[in-house]
Amino acid sequence: MSSMDDAPSMALIVRADLSLSAGKTAVQCAHAAVQCALQAHRHHARLMERWRKSGARKICLVADDLSSLHRLASEAQQANLSYHLVQDAGHTEVPAGTITVLGIGPGPRRSLDLITEDLSTL
Amino acid sequence: MGFRSFIHRLTAPRINITPVFGSVKLVCIVNQSLKMGKGKIAAQVGHASVESFLRTGSTHPHLLDAWLASGQKKICLKAKDEDVFETLITQAKRDNIPFHLIRDAGHTQIPSGSKTVLALGPYGEEELDSITGELKLL
Repeated sequence: MSSMDDAPSMALIVRADLSLSAGKTAVQCAHAAVQCALQAHRHHARLMERWRKSGARKICLVADDLSSLHRLASEAQQANLSYHLVQDAGHTEVPAGTITVLGIGPGPRRSLDLITEDLSTL
Repeated sequence: MGFRSFIHRLTAPRINITPVFGSVKLVCIVNQSLKMGKGKIAAQVGHASVESFLRTGSTHPHLLDAWLASGQKKICLKAKDEDVFETLITQAKRDNIPFHLIRDAGHTQIPSGSKTVLALGPYGEEELDSITGELKLL
């Protein structure tokens, strides 16, 4: 179990105040996951490989609102973790430009846990 | 294309190639029979999207470029059970559409090995619609 605990992880943090449907939430989380994976591909290829080989761990969490996402994003930046804020194109449910999900990682699970420990799972 | 050259392609300076295809999208189909929670579905769809776009990157790199450049269109559909996945996979193989099926590791909510989400594409919207047209939005 100890090797699993050290495996890189990714956190997808959804805004609770938008009350998105299950389908919309899933798509927005996928946007964040794809973008974070692309960034890792470009800048941290070895980390990306370790993450995929260890099962591409992902966890979906909830944050209250936009300001929480911004706060978490700046904490991620300080911890040297890559992150991506998803901005919706606004075809459905929310107005164009709405920030819906924050993706952090893939990164060391311990650093992610430090940032996200107060959040509950989706 | 090998994995190394794929990474190289992603990091290399872009040559400006105009995509000749119409709209390109990624479709994720969720197995409704498992009754997964919202967060579980979101994570599984995330898994499927990442693996499927990486696959498209190695088999149809021009489609990946077109998809990334056009805002990464994604939609989420629902299937009543995993038999629907079998049919779709047969059709995807026939049409040479890249796909990825997620089997869950079973840490939470559902038994290990359950087929949770099938991702198709990124691929041409028309071709995808012709095989997924009957499925409803999640």
